[in-house]
Amino acid sequence: MAKITIYSTPSCMYCKMAKEFFTKNNIAYSEHDIAVDDAARDEMLAKSGQMGVPVIDIDGKIVVGFDRGAIEAALGMK
Amino acid sequence: MRDLIIIGGGPGGVSAGIYAARKKIKTLLITDGFGGQSMISAEIGNWIGDQSISGYDLAKKMEEHLRAQEEIEIVDDDGVCVVQKIDGGFSVVTKNGKIFETKYLLITSGSHRRKLDIPGEHEFDGKGVVYCSTCDAPIFKNKTVAVIGGGNSALESVIDLLPYASKIYLLVRSEIIRGDSVTQDKVRQHPNVEVVLNATPQEVIGDKFVTGLRYKDMKGGEIKDLALEGVFVEIGLIPNSDFIKDIVARDDYGAIVVDSKTQETSCAGIWAAGDVTDVLYKQNNISAGDAIKAVLNISDCLKKQ
Repeated sequence: MAKITIYSTPSCMYCKMAKEFFTKNNIAYSEHDIAVDDAARDEMLAKSGQMGVPVIDIDGKIVVGFDRGAIEAALGMK
Repeated sequence: MRDLIIIGGGPGGVSAGIYAARKKIKTLLITDGFGGQSMISAEIGNWIGDQSISGYDLAKKMEEHLRAQEEIEIVDDDGVCVVQKIDGGFSVVTKNGKIFETKYLLITSGSHRRKLDIPGEHEFDGKGVVYCSTCDAPIFKNKTVAVIGGGNSALESVIDLLPYASKIYLLVRSEIIRGDSVTQDKVRQHPNVEVVLNATPQEVIGDKFVTGLRYKDMKGGEIKDLALEGVFVEIGLIPNSDFIKDIVARDDYGAIVVDSKTQETSCAGIWAAGDVTDVLYKQNNISAGDAIKAVLNISDCLKKQ
């Protein structure tokens, strides 16, 4: 099972869509709300080099945004 | 051949789809997602029937309402790249290479964000240049940022940032702010906000991430630099009408010109509604109403045949 971490903000709809995608496919993930967790924010910036949410870490593969194709590829679903 | 193809899944396209299905018009709706541009809004307070609803929830409700119709065919993972005239109608080619034929066409493809088109903007997209303040404002906690634009969306972007950013420059190209006066007052009175009028952005500066913004003071003529870490771009919209530009008349901004009584375009057999058209006001409720108007007119035309 892949280890998945999603960096999100509460008001981000693409983050919601990403989480819904994982839930729908019965894939477990952990979540960091970077609106309150500054350490997670810095971790996200360092990992992705990006200042936009969601950032999704799938076993070290970084997906920026809710890019369904990239997520499926990282999970070997396609 | 189908009677109708609807292009787009925002409030216009979905409303049209529901009406067309209930009229038993043989319809296909092509979209790459539901809810339209307000899907990313944290809160919508003016959708009639809901005092407050998130863009995400509204998109879900729209999709469910559309899918509850028996008489409609939906392609939900594709967009349209070319439309061609054929005998008795139109042929629609999608981005995934599918081809569909139809008698009539209704375009509700909406619009997308206008970009600054200055050096550094593309390079630092996602590295400090932001197009969704609702999504990304919290990342700029205790940071200095600029919001570019003078309309309501720019003001709302400032409001999104107020709980987080330590300093917000609002850069307005003209001499006045156009947005609602209530929101303007809220923004102007806040100690963390500095309004800069007559400012034309020249370049986004940075290394790994954004470190500054260069702009020209149009009154004095001098070039000035602001040290900051975020640039929020809110300078208006561009209609998604390129795929149809050779067939229907558009205005100088690329908006499809429509007859406001029927939503017909300059090309017989093609209707358009919502933000892709030259309608004066871009609103969810208006897009829904105008698209419904188009379907009723299409229904009348089908009956006359």
